[in-house]
Amino acid sequence: MDLDEFRSGLDAWLDEHHDELVATSHDPGDLAADMAHLSKVKRMTFDAGWMRWGWPERVGGLGGSTLFRAYLGEALTGRGLVEPGVYSMTEVLAPTMIDHAHPDVAAEMVPKLLRGEETWCQGFSEPDTGSNLGALACRAVRDGDVWRVTGQKVWTSLAQHSQRCVLLVRTGTTEDAHRGITALFVDMDSPGIVVRPIVTMHGREEFCEVFFDDVVVPVERMLGPEGNGWTVAMELLPFERSTALWHRGAYLHERLDTLLATAEPGALSASEVGAAWAKLFAFRARSRMTQHRMASGDKLGPETSVDKILLGTAEQTIFDLVADGLAEDVVLGDDAESVRWRSEFLYSRAATIYGGSSEIQRNIVARRLLDLGADR
Amino acid sequence: MTMDRDEQELFTATVRATVAGAGSAAALDAALAELGWVDALEVDPRTAVAALFEAQGELTATSSALGVVVGAALGVGVEDGGGLVLPTIGHDDPPGRTEGSCVPVRGLGLPGLLDRSRATVVATGADGALHSAPVDVAALAPTLVAGLDSDLGLAVVDVECVSTAEPWAAAEGTWDEAVAAGRRALAHELLGTMRTMLRLAREHALERIQFGQPIARFQAVRHKLAEVYVAVEATEAAIDAAWQDGTPASATLAKVVAGTNARIARTHCQQVLAGIGFTTEHDLHRSIKRSLVLDGLLGDARTLTTKVGAELLEARTAPAITPL
Repeated sequence: MDLDEFRSGLDAWLDEHHDELVATSHDPGDLAADMAHLSKVKRMTFDAGWMRWGWPERVGGLGGSTLFRAYLGEALTGRGLVEPGVYSMTEVLAPTMIDHAHPDVAAEMVPKLLRGEETWCQGFSEPDTGSNLGALACRAVRDGDVWRVTGQKVWTSLAQHSQRCVLLVRTGTTEDAHRGITALFVDMDSPGIVVRPIVTMHGREEFCEVFFDDVVVPVERMLGPEGNGWTVAMELLPFERSTALWHRGAYLHERLDTLLATAEPGALSASEVGAAWAKLFAFRARSRMTQHRMASGDKLGPETSVDKILLGTAEQTIFDLVADGLAEDVVLGDDAESVRWRSEFLYSRAATIYGGSSEIQRNIVARRLLDLGADR
Repeated sequence: MTMDRDEQELFTATVRATVAGAGSAAALDAALAELGWVDALEVDPRTAVAALFEAQGELTATSSALGVVVGAALGVGVEDGGGLVLPTIGHDDPPGRTEGSCVPVRGLGLPGLLDRSRATVVATGADGALHSAPVDVAALAPTLVAGLDSDLGLAVVDVECVSTAEPWAAAEGTWDEAVAAGRRALAHELLGTMRTMLRLAREHALERIQFGQPIARFQAVRHKLAEVYVAVEATEAAIDAAWQDGTPASATLAKVVAGTNARIARTHCQQVLAGIGFTTEHDLHRSIKRSLVLDGLLGDARTLTTKVGAELLEARTAPAITPL
């Protein structure tokens, strides 16, 4: 299977199954409906084989280039069949499990994620540690064959829909900073876990507070050895900024295309449309290079911060066009299309905040890529 | 036909050394001829263009190679390509207009035009047909200008009526393709100027001590440099996508991205270098001036951005770009 073969085969299959794959609910506030639809699309694409390409055989994949994953997500988001934010979680969490979980755990669990049988979340941020991840305080204490976890996480996307969580906990002292962190793979139905969804300004229960009160996690659910959590986190974060962002670029392309077809003549300024198009072009060009580096086996690192900065800027520029060009719809419209534009515009405000704010990305660029030395 | 990876690296290093060693545009033209750069342009255009124009941008060197690149797309030979008259700053139409027997020409001569006997003029008529002809340089009455970047040696051509010894011949290729080739080259050259500006600003930030520490420690400075780094990387990516795609549309986008990002580099690097960067005792001003001129050649970022946007609004759709 090569990329052209994959592309033409998948395109034909998506054409053929379009009516089954397209979402029936268009209420952006109804996350449960989105998640149910996502599960259906993942199950169909997995059972037809498309979702399995680009993943190792030992976790239920069919092997082959990671470009297949990039194209599958591009096709699904570009055709508006899935919402990229929830779809691309797989691209962040499955590679982490493959690289760090016990092989038996990975073999058992990853197929459930790929096939849409389960949703997973990522328990990183805490109320007092957002950007400063190395200071996290959610504590795990070893008790024989188990860890006992007590503490709190926040901004945990999809926690209320998740069966599992990739969780960072403090197993050393606070003074150990990033060296005292361990990563665990936690069942979300464990006794002692309480999830409280938070309603965002775009009207979705996008993320949650998660409380842990003496939650028992077997030691075989550690991702790597004790104290390996920082490595897991540092290797996971580039995945937030690679394939997932390529998918998001395809979605932005589709939204800009729809905006151009929708906006009244004269509602958009040529110079602003041109500037947004050039930003999207540059972002996609950059992300394309990242997909090819990943496919050739390069280990992704701090250079993916460039991709995230470009994505955030492109996304906000495009949705600023929406706010200006479809102002009446965005401000007053209560029809389904207007509600969607409004929700997407508001969500775009988070593009420079989530997944490491643009300031944190610039700190990474300055320290790691420009080699400017420590900043304090 | 192309070069393999090793050949590309060797060629790029050789071209760079050649650009660094040439003291003038004429010397660089001569050295490139000896090196066989034109043969490379035919065999592996991307490597040839990237190597030369990035080195020119980085080292604020110049040559008449832009004319060769644009001319090659129109079937103009190497010898005459170097004397190709380009559209003037802010324009991207053919410099000549074939209306009757009298051809008005308004454009820019590249470095060395005044040392040549023959120039090449590309002209278009009311029917849109594209022609080119060799013209006596004297007939174009070129005026050497100092302008913003006096090191560049550009000459302004503005004549009402040019007659040619040889008849106007139909040009091979299209003007759009020729401009696209030029825009890709200019995007590489702008990228070179940005890299140098970033290098200079970074070195300064690490060396300049204020409040007892290098100013590179201050987040206000670090973030400006990070923005420039992102601008450089985005420009590289856009140029890569333009070569992958090969169409005039993507070449235009690469030039837009390069021109827009060059402004970011100029603004932030000048601010980081502050007082010393405002003087002629530091080299920054050379890159700043060169980058401004390059942005204006074959369509500046502002004009092209509006043009690209107008095309999208007209089409009411966003065409497929950057396939995986």
